[in-house]
Amino acid sequence: MRRALAIAAVTVAIAPALVAGQSWRTVNTSRQLETNDEVRVFVEYAAGQFNIRSVDEGLLYRMNLRYDEDRFEPVSEFSGDRLLLGVESMRRSMNIKGRQSGSLELELARGVPIDLDLEFGAVQADIDLGGLALTDLDLSTGASESLIDISEPNTARMATASFEVGAAEFTIQNLGNLNADRIELDAGVGSITLGLGGRWQQDTHLDIEMGLGSLELRVPEGLGVQLRKDSFLTALDSEGLIKRGDVYESLDFDDADYRVIIELDAAFGSVSVVWIEDER
Amino acid sequence: MVAMLMLQLRRVVLALGFVALVVPVGAQAQLRHIVTKNISASSSGTMLHLEFDDEGTLDISFDDGTVYVDGDAVGTYEPGDELDAAWQTILGEAIALENGALAELLVDWTVPASIADELADAAHALDRALEDALNDIDIRVRSDDGSVSISINDETSLVQLLLGSVNRLGILEDALEGLSSDFRIHVDEDVVIPAGSVFDGTLVVIEGELRVEGRVEGDVVVVGGSFDLGDDGSISGEARVADVRVVRNNGEIAGGLVDVLEDERNVEADIRDRLREEIRDEVRSDLRRELRGVARSHDVTRIDGSEFSIISPFVPVIRGVGGVFEKLILVFILGLIGAGFLAFAGENMEAIAETARHSPGRSAMVGFAGSFLLIPVWLLGTVALVVSIIGIPVAIAWLPLFPLAAILAGVLGYVAVAQNTGEWLADSSFPWTGWIRKTNPIFTLFGGLLGLTFAFIAANVISIAPFLGILSGLLLVIGSIVTFLAIQIGFGAVILTRAGRRREYHGVYDPDAAWEAAMSVEVDDEEEVGGNHEDGNDA
Repeated sequence: MRRALAIAAVTVAIAPALVAGQSWRTVNTSRQLETNDEVRVFVEYAAGQFNIRSVDEGLLYRMNLRYDEDRFEPVSEFSGDRLLLGVESMRRSMNIKGRQSGSLELELARGVPIDLDLEFGAVQADIDLGGLALTDLDLSTGASESLIDISEPNTARMATASFEVGAAEFTIQNLGNLNADRIELDAGVGSITLGLGGRWQQDTHLDIEMGLGSLELRVPEGLGVQLRKDSFLTALDSEGLIKRGDVYESLDFDDADYRVIIELDAAFGSVSVVWIEDER
Repeated sequence: MVAMLMLQLRRVVLALGFVALVVPVGAQAQLRHIVTKNISASSSGTMLHLEFDDEGTLDISFDDGTVYVDGDAVGTYEPGDELDAAWQTILGEAIALENGALAELLVDWTVPASIADELADAAHALDRALEDALNDIDIRVRSDDGSVSISINDETSLVQLLLGSVNRLGILEDALEGLSSDFRIHVDEDVVIPAGSVFDGTLVVIEGELRVEGRVEGDVVVVGGSFDLGDDGSISGEARVADVRVVRNNGEIAGGLVDVLEDERNVEADIRDRLREEIRDEVRSDLRRELRGVARSHDVTRIDGSEFSIISPFVPVIRGVGGVFEKLILVFILGLIGAGFLAFAGENMEAIAETARHSPGRSAMVGFAGSFLLIPVWLLGTVALVVSIIGIPVAIAWLPLFPLAAILAGVLGYVAVAQNTGEWLADSSFPWTGWIRKTNPIFTLFGGLLGLTFAFIAANVISIAPFLGILSGLLLVIGSIVTFLAIQIGFGAVILTRAGRRREYHGVYDPDAAWEAAMSVEVDDEEEVGGNHEDGNDA
């Protein structure tokens, strides 16, 4: 049944490219898992749908790619401990006229230590990093609509997870599952939502730099939060936080099991704190 | 390097295939470990790339009508034919599989019965390539079976042969197909069947010379080298040759002489012919393009007067007439747009036209200011929308719709001004404007559009005549100024009237003023009222 479904899915994926006579190419590539040594994974993707999930079938990765072969070429290189995936543009300039979006669906191995570097442009991203063993995370995006979820706790501990966001609607859920000592977010313009849910395993520093836009912090009850704000023209809706000196703190900050210290440096925009139920 | 050597050796042994037939073999077959799988498909073809744990690779691609195995063309296909369909089906299944299951699927693939002729050759080549690449066989030779034997000139010749001639051994597999297993094989040595002697079984000679003067009760296979059939020599079965110099004389071959490479040569010839045709077409089109380029450059020199051409006197006429047609088409399109406005937003257009008529200066100033502010407003609006969550989806609509609205406003304003111009022309005493009926807005619209583009049309007409380039240029400048002003006035009027929804000059109808204007007499209200009163009293 599963095989039939896969065949049907592939037929559907391949057929339009064959029938419509366009320059679309679909690529399905995968690599067997050989060792459990740490792998540095670089993913680069320009435009289209972008999904990442974890996979547990003895594979290091599996990638389904649909792209315009006149404009891009696929990348899937593995050498030593370095894995490069995604597409590279063959032209320096991009013609937006008449552009249809491609797609990249990537599955990465569970349990294998991964130093993950994601770089994507004008994409609609739906990324679930849950279940991966991330030792480091660098995510950089341009004008995207991104939903990042860490649905399961990271099985490895990482020192720093950094997110660099251009002009985007950017949402992260369950940041606690990242298992990171420090989380850095550098956002340009847009709407940012940070969900501080998930299973926190240590106190964490969350550094946020924002240019212009709105930031919503979704904080689970029971998590100790301290907000240090250094802003120019930024409105703060600090519901549930009390001001102590120059900082805002949650009522149970001193007694909380885990604390998140948020350093906020924002220029223009609004910051709001929304309390959510603890889903741990 | 060693791994590559072993890989090549393995593939060659598998390509031989016949080894399993001619040698009593204890063959333990297993499938190679696939490390990486890459399957791609597009409208131009499909591609399968496999990487094995011993660093070996396999590439099979169907590209633009040709089937390639590891970069070598092995046949041709037509998109959608049986072979293409069968290959796409197996690739569709392969996507869902990994490693062992994938290798099993590929190695088990067989040529569908429905595939025939040349397609079958390509399909067999594919099948062979998959089996060669995916099978991992450990071959051990037993020497206790006397029914079959291999004769080798020296102990290294087989290895050299295997390593040095993959293609030839692949051909040998074809040559041995369907023959009995009672073989005698000679590698790299000359063989003679003397007159009067009889050889029973299948005689295989690889890279050697075979001379048959006696009788062979069976088939003969010769790959490489030469085959000499004496006058008294005879073969009861087939003589299969591949890449062999044949001297037949008057000897008899009951099953006939079969050239194994004939099919392959035909495929190669087909591919060669196709390539030749493609190259010829490409050269032709390049040549044609170059000739056109040369012809075009000659046209330029003719216009410059540096070179004589028979069509050069007509070039200005063609250009001039073409320009006139271009303007008339533009007038027609704008007229249609204006007619659309009249039909669906007649009142709005009337309000815009009225404002432009009564206050052209103010409208032009507002139009200038509006034009300058267009881009800043667009950018600021975008930034303002992006800041808020709700605004982001609105910004997506704002980005394309604002410029579109601005263009629409410009066109609407221009056709409104054109209608004013048409009315003015209808009132004028120009002899050629008599056809413009003021009562019909369509006539006034088209008349006005022709009036506004008159300078351009005149410039095109004058450009036909020689030595009037300055006048033509002057008319173009006038036309540009008129068009620019018309757009600015119209755009300004659109802004002032909020696209015709707010009348700037919709003054209350004053029948007295209208009467006075029409009759050029003064009307005394009081007298008229008194008169009426008197009439009432009389009654």
